Amino acid sequence: MIVSKNEIANLLTQLAETYRVIAPVKKDGMLQYAAIKNGEQACLDDANTKKPGKEILFPQSEELFNYTISAEGIRMQDNVDKEATVVFGMRPCDVKSLVLLDNVFQNDQYTDVYYLTRRANTIIVGLGCAQPAATCFCSSVGCGPFAKEGSDIFLTDLGEAYVIEGISDKGKELLAKLSLAEAGAEQKAAAAKLQAEVTADGSINIEGLAEKLGGMFEHPFWESLHEKCIGCGACTYLCPTCHCFDIADEAKDCDGCRVRNWDACMFPLFTLHGSGHNPRTGGKARWRQRLMHKFNYFVDRYNATACVGCGRCIKNCPVNLDIRQALADVRALD
Amino acid sequence: MNTTEKIREVAKQLLADQKVDLVVGFAQGTLPLRSTPYFARTPEQAENLIWSATCENNLANFVRKRTDKVAVIAKGCDVRAIVALIKEGQINRENLTIIGVPCEGMVDRKQICQAIGCQDILEVTDQGAELSLKGKNFEKTLAKADVMFGSCKTCQYNTPVIFDELIGEALPAKEANYDDIAAFEALSAAERNAFIAKEMEKCIRCYACRQACPMCYCSECFVDCGAPAWIGKGAQSVDDNALFQTVRVLHLAGRCVDCGACERACPMGIKLSLLNRKMVKDVKGLFGAEAGVNLNDPPALNVHQFEDKEDFML
Amino acid sequence: MRNPYLPLPMKLVKNFTETSDKLIHTFTLEYLNEQDAESFQYEPGQFAELMVYGKGEAPFGIASSPTEKGILKFSVAKVGVVSNALHMLEEGTIVGVRGPLGNSYPLEQLKGKSLTIIGGGFAFTTLRSTIQYILDPANRGDYGDLTVIYGARNPGLLLYKDELAAWDARSDINLITTIDREVEGWNGRVGFIPTVTKEVAPKTDYAIICGPPVMIKFTMPVLVECGFTPDRIIMSLENRMKCGIGMCGRCNVGSKYVCKDGPVFTKAQLDQLPNEY
Ligand SMILES: Cc1cc2nc3c(=O)[nH]c(=O)nc-3n(C[C@H](O)[C@H](O)[C@H](O)COP(=O)(O)OP(=O)(O)OC[C@H]3O[C@@H](n4cnc5c(N)ncnc54)[C@H](O)[C@@H]3O)c2cc1C
Ligand code: SF4
Ligand code: SF4
Ligand code: SF4
Ligand code: SF4
Ligand code: FES
Repeated sequence: MIVSKNEIANLLTQLAETYRVIAPVKKDGMLQYAAIKNGEQACLDDANTKKPGKEILFPQSEELFNYTISAEGIRMQDNVDKEATVVFGMRPCDVKSLVLLDNVFQNDQYTDVYYLTRRANTIIVGLGCAQPAATCFCSSVGCGPFAKEGSDIFLTDLGEAYVIEGISDKGKELLAKLSLAEAGAEQKAAAAKLQAEVTADGSINIEGLAEKLGGMFEHPFWESLHEKCIGCGACTYLCPTCHCFDIADEAKDCDGCRVRNWDACMFPLFTLHGSGHNPRTGGKARWRQRLMHKFNYFVDRYNATACVGCGRCIKNCPVNLDIRQALADVRALD
Repeated sequence: MNTTEKIREVAKQLLADQKVDLVVGFAQGTLPLRSTPYFARTPEQAENLIWSATCENNLANFVRKRTDKVAVIAKGCDVRAIVALIKEGQINRENLTIIGVPCEGMVDRKQICQAIGCQDILEVTDQGAELSLKGKNFEKTLAKADVMFGSCKTCQYNTPVIFDELIGEALPAKEANYDDIAAFEALSAAERNAFIAKEMEKCIRCYACRQACPMCYCSECFVDCGAPAWIGKGAQSVDDNALFQTVRVLHLAGRCVDCGACERACPMGIKLSLLNRKMVKDVKGLFGAEAGVNLNDPPALNVHQFEDKEDFML
Repeated sequence: MRNPYLPLPMKLVKNFTETSDKLIHTFTLEYLNEQDAESFQYEPGQFAELMVYGKGEAPFGIASSPTEKGILKFSVAKVGVVSNALHMLEEGTIVGVRGPLGNSYPLEQLKGKSLTIIGGGFAFTTLRSTIQYILDPANRGDYGDLTVIYGARNPGLLLYKDELAAWDARSDINLITTIDREVEGWNGRVGFIPTVTKEVAPKTDYAIICGPPVMIKFTMPVLVECGFTPDRIIMSLENRMKCGIGMCGRCNVGSKYVCKDGPVFTKAQLDQLPNEY
């Protein structure tokens, strides 16, 4: 199917009548995901959003449930968000990150109802990247500028129009309701050509990396890697695959609410034991955890690399500690 | 010899003579317009040191509480922080060799990004007063002075106030300039509140600002304290985010060296130095004190004089 | 979908000051109704998140044994927000419990085997659960000889004093208690756990050991000397935890999450993992 660019705003406005539509918008000079009512607000031409797509299903701060305490006892109110949602124009790396997070938020014993409910009620419209940024290396980590994994519907930008493909049943069903024009053979061919040709490898090669890292826990390499890191949360909070969180109780506008907030292994308090003992004492152990988790532990546990090559950590690190360089350095070790 | 070559020369000599164990400076970064803090421990590694208009980090951060003998390649604001830290007992002057570099100002990637519509920059050439930038579909030349960090535009201490060796010529001193703060003060309370709320809404509580600040070194920051929990830990509350910044700025009263490291580090582009500089201006106006400008003045918070203004106290 | 984050309300029926320094209290909780007791099926070694409404939750080992029907017990050291709040609770207050979480001691696998249980300080909670379980008339026959070595800095800091006395009086458990330094009126042994373990030289099929990191560090070689192979030394880890269900990423040791894959591991398993606990 095909939609010309000047019709896309209308399409979104129409979708917004039935769904909560979340799309990238320009706000405060940054591209950010936001719920929109009017399709004109969407900005599909810029590169990727500042904050990663995970925030839609796994917000930075989220009230899980609240409770009131009274003479009759305790009443708990669960805040599961069930609203039918369309996320429009998510880049393939962020879409892939959701596929990875699915592994985390549901295991053989437990289901994170907050994430999973949103996930089940969300249709993802992926948007291919005709012009990957210099910091992108998705093609090297099992994703790619036109990777469709995880998208329910997929858009390919032909300049004047988007070629639209239904990928999952959920996506095809939605498309069936929209009465869009069929794409011509030429347009389909142009889309296929783009999809086949555009890559973003960032000169990274992670073949054999997980195994290599597996034997490297005690390697002197970690001594220097972290040295310039100032230990902030930029690389993890802005990473689409980082899923660590904290749970706390707050009493605001209610007797109490249980909230969860993003947290990260780059902070010393993350692992501090009740006894005062801290198994990860310094930057060395923390950077090792970050790299190991993404490229070894996650692979071990879920058989996938927990990096989608979006480049956010590279762009946002205040000291330019570049994960691509770290990976290349590991590769160069014998 | 240009500055980079001189830095390498000095660093190599210090390491070869084993006068220091380590030279902290900058190396070429992995992105255009980026250099990166670098730790040279051998004369060979010293060959990687560079100097450019993108040496934006405050290296004082890396020389706090060290027991080894260290040399640091330090620009004006780095040295102000070092001076303040020496006075706070965080740096042992004996163990630190300061290789001062007079600094004409560092360029701000965020302003450059705005100036070119945030297109991907692939190549940068430094032409002295100008930067020429190249990307896939564009070429542009920008005057460095136009895209300098705010803190560099108003910097009065471009030449390090103390050093063991100075690389290059000292730069002429500049007049104090608080026009940005005066403009902010001229706004109505409602306008100021709205501005701060808008900025604080962007905060993701990554604490890069705190971590990048050479003067923020408390072993437990009040935001992290669990008992009592002084402040909500989530980023969704604009009030909590503003409270974090307010307390951060207050804890830096008379200590902030106005280097702008917090604002540079912030991934969300929040205008943090407005708050800091308001405090810097007030401390200067009310108490005549300025942090890190010489080794002799006692830290502002350590002195009380009867003539101190106290009409702000309740 | 069952929401694993929602706590089960339970009633605090007893807030008992366990140690002479008053820093450890034992809390006995009762289910509010029958179904809750039915649904909360646990085994010795598991833990739960204990919640004080308005304050938060924290993980604690379950100190009661499944053979003690209708109640749960936790012994909690006063260290921070939740533990302090717990200590101050009045009997009758409703608290929240989320669990049971984690794996348990392999009591099925231990059937027919003799066992040494070594505990130090207040890390005796899930060991109490295990001992109570084995000593239950319905289970005692399933297990061989049981030796328990339990130490604390001084007599006042030993947990469960009434039970220790009762166990001491039985012939089907060999209980050895020890304190760090001699005090008047103490009839048990004096000495650190590793030394006492060496003296006792247990010769059982398996050993379970819980305690502070230093104690573990020095007792481990003694156990190896006594002939325990790494797959027969069982330990319980205490990494910092939040979710308890393998999602929040906080408690990992290598690719294992202590909350879900543990907290119980054999030394053989831990030898395969990075030393980050
Ligand atoms: C599987 C498991 C079983 C456990 N079983 C038991 C048990 O049976 N009994 C028991 O008593 N404990 C047990 N623990 C330990 C217990 O979970 C902790 O003591 C508990 O989480 C403390 O919670 P809290 O809210 O009281 O303390 P918190 O307020 O979370 O603080 C805990 C400790 O961390 C320190 N701390 C907190 N925040 C900071 C900060 N910002 N900076 C520096 N230090 C800080 C505090 O000083 C304090 O010492 C167990 C832990 C695990 C993982
Ligand atoms: S590690 Fe960096 S590049 Fe990889 S997914 Fe995370 S933010 Fe993107
Ligand atoms: S890298 Fe760190 S913050 Fe990110 S998911 Fe892994 S453990 Fe969590
Ligand atoms: S963003 Fe950079 S400085 Fe901050 S924690 Fe990550 S690597 Fe360290
Ligand atoms: S660096 Fe910016 S986003 Fe991060 S905590 Fe500071 S103000 Fe907030
Ligand atoms: S406590 Fe959350 S993963 Fe273990």
